Amino acid sequence: MSRWIAKGLRTGIRTTRFPQAGVRGEEGAPSAIRLRWQGLTAVEGLEAAAICPTSAIETSGTAEEGELRFDAGACILCGRCTRRFPDAFTPVENPRVAVRSRDQLRTTLRWERGEAPAPVALAAAASAVQQAGLRLFRHSLHIRHVDAGSCNGCESELQMLSAPYADLHRLGLFFTPTPRHADLLLVTGVVTENMKAPLLETYAAMPAPKLVIAAGACAISGGSFAGGPTTVGPLDRLLRVDAYVPGCPPTPQALLHGLLLVLGRASQGYRADQEDQGGA
Amino acid sequence: MSGALARLASAAGLQLEWYGGDQAHAAVPGAEFSELVSALARRATLSDLFATTTIKTPPRLTAVLQVADDPAWLLLTADLESTRFASLTAQVHAASWYEREIFEMHGLEPVGHPALGPLRLHHRPEDQPPVPDGRGETAAVPSRINSRRRTPSVTGQGVFQLPLGPVRSGPQESAEFLFYSGGEDIVEVDLRLGFKYRAIELLAEGLRADQAIQLAERLAGTSAFANGLAFTRAVERVSGVDVSPVAESTRALLGEVERLHNHFGSIARLAEATGLLVAAAQYGLLKEETLRTAGRLCGHRYLRGVLRVGGVQVVPGADARAQLQAQIGDWTQRSDRLTRLLEQTSTFLDRLDTTAVLLPDYASEHNLVGPVGRASGIDRDVRRDHPYAAYGSVEFDVPTVADGDAEARFQVFSRELKQSLGIIRQLLEHWPADREEPGVTAWHEGSALGWAEAPGGECLHWVDLDGQGRLLRWRARPPAVVNWHPFAHACGSGNNLTDYPVIEASFSISAAEFDR
Repeated sequence: MSRWIAKGLRTGIRTTRFPQAGVRGEEGAPSAIRLRWQGLTAVEGLEAAAICPTSAIETSGTAEEGELRFDAGACILCGRCTRRFPDAFTPVENPRVAVRSRDQLRTTLRWERGEAPAPVALAAAASAVQQAGLRLFRHSLHIRHVDAGSCNGCESELQMLSAPYADLHRLGLFFTPTPRHADLLLVTGVVTENMKAPLLETYAAMPAPKLVIAAGACAISGGSFAGGPTTVGPLDRLLRVDAYVPGCPPTPQALLHGLLLVLGRASQGYRADQEDQGGA
Repeated sequence: MSGALARLASAAGLQLEWYGGDQAHAAVPGAEFSELVSALARRATLSDLFATTTIKTPPRLTAVLQVADDPAWLLLTADLESTRFASLTAQVHAASWYEREIFEMHGLEPVGHPALGPLRLHHRPEDQPPVPDGRGETAAVPSRINSRRRTPSVTGQGVFQLPLGPVRSGPQESAEFLFYSGGEDIVEVDLRLGFKYRAIELLAEGLRADQAIQLAERLAGTSAFANGLAFTRAVERVSGVDVSPVAESTRALLGEVERLHNHFGSIARLAEATGLLVAAAQYGLLKEETLRTAGRLCGHRYLRGVLRVGGVQVVPGADARAQLQAQIGDWTQRSDRLTRLLEQTSTFLDRLDTTAVLLPDYASEHNLVGPVGRASGIDRDVRRDHPYAAYGSVEFDVPTVADGDAEARFQVFSRELKQSLGIIRQLLEHWPADREEPGVTAWHEGSALGWAEAPGGECLHWVDLDGQGRLLRWRARPPAVVNWHPFAHACGSGNNLTDYPVIEASFSISAAEFDR
């Protein structure tokens, strides 16, 4: 046993300083996609919608007159649009991609009379209450995770939160086995028919006030499995959601950002339609 | 073709139709199917059994068989005249869960099956509308399946039930385990899966095959690449597409990266289950480093979005490859040292030794796959037995242990890590030059099998495409479909309730991959 203690001490501290400092070592694997509307023509927009395997990019109309709806909450980061139209769809490497409101993951472009596409309206900013987060749990938060029908990718990343690099305990965040002790429900996966009842029972067993996070494209929008014959659909059809963490699966840092965001300990760094806002 | 498979087929009087030299199809009359498969399974391994049902065509059964020392697969099909067929389970135990699935999902009754309970569906009302298939027709749906009634399977004085799940203790997958115990011992486990049933194969029907790769990649997150690869290779076989050497090397390389992060994660969970938090942290570091390397190699930590029909979307750049080459030495050294330390830690070994034993006889009767099978003496690995991607050009061993307990599975994990690191080193040393790849020029009609060795074991995907490349039927048989079956048996082999975390970690098996 002493050899293990020596091994642990010799290894030193490997934990990131997230969210205080930037994150290293995550290059190449984006946390989300952003739409730069200046870099997209109508024809390209129609083509992008055709190659998108989910409902993240949808269009209606023609190259003369039409509309493009981009939904980062349905994006599974397959990389087709970013490889094909690198000027318009850009990977976001900053892991601060969680948002408080579903609208902030969406943006709509419209074009008429053959003109270039332009945004219809910017997504609403988070309300003052949302921005403040729930200060009650600021220093200690207990998380109950429910897998409502995931592929095990999100669980794999959640398990990495307890590994040394992310180490959620240093931030006062803990997983709890019982919903009675839980302050926050973290849901992964598209909600299946078979998991609907256990999910709602778990939520009901939690004491108020309680928070809910939808983690990953499946929980946010159904992702790859939207409209399936054995699924109920996105989480916010069943429960009020306090934060959305996009990704397929969301990276450990993005998950940490989502948790800190609902507590008011981190600010939003991503909006589907805006340039990088930095933010910590 | 004059291999072992061809000899076996001619002895059984089968007319074989060969596809590309590595798979042979044969059609037999429905009435003879069960008898023939039972007879063949004495000398061959039954690797899959599934049904295809539509309204217009008669129900069809397909059996997938392989024999030792022959890289080819045998696919045996039979059209049934009714919705009943003779069960194989009494002769071939491995058929048991395949037949339950056929009954549950297609309403074809295996007559004589000893335990025909549901596997995935929990609450299906009798008047549920039938599920459409890819032809725009509706598949036959059984009317008999309804909500599951559970009766205690173990009774006696002092026997009580202890339920675990579907919502588990930590960030884990949803599955339910009902333990029957007399106090400390596990008498039996009633396993209930299917909570995560997303109907992936049905969702893909009607999609063009290249658009369905992303669904194959999302069948299970921790074996995304292997499942995607087996699916893509099945599509390529139907379409007759060639893959360039650099794409083949990329596929083998990323397949091994996936094995690394899985096995590092499995050993981390074993260490956690035995209370060795430093060891769990050390292997957690290795897993995170592997995932980051995957991100640098191909843009996705779980290796998604890489595959395409006819090649790969991304070839790892020279920088990322050089960085990986530098890391290989470090990982090998650290992994070796950690394994040695674990092997000297008695609190670790005591918890694993003789825990959840699967004897070699049981393992071979149920055709177990992957590390779970190889820890019970099953010497099979499709990378060696049915070479694909660049595996034909690298040297590696397939480690097997005969003890069949959790310690044997740990040994297989750690030895496989060493082999995977060796394979990656060889691939990087002989990296082929880039070449333009044509991809799909024209789609063809037909069906074929694709395979890959996932971290959990042999992964088979069978696709049936129409002339436009759309999926008519997709059958996925990832390793979890096979390896959940012995899980309950292993739990009941004289273990205590406190052994349960060790048992689960040693199986390292995904519920999503089973539920699909």
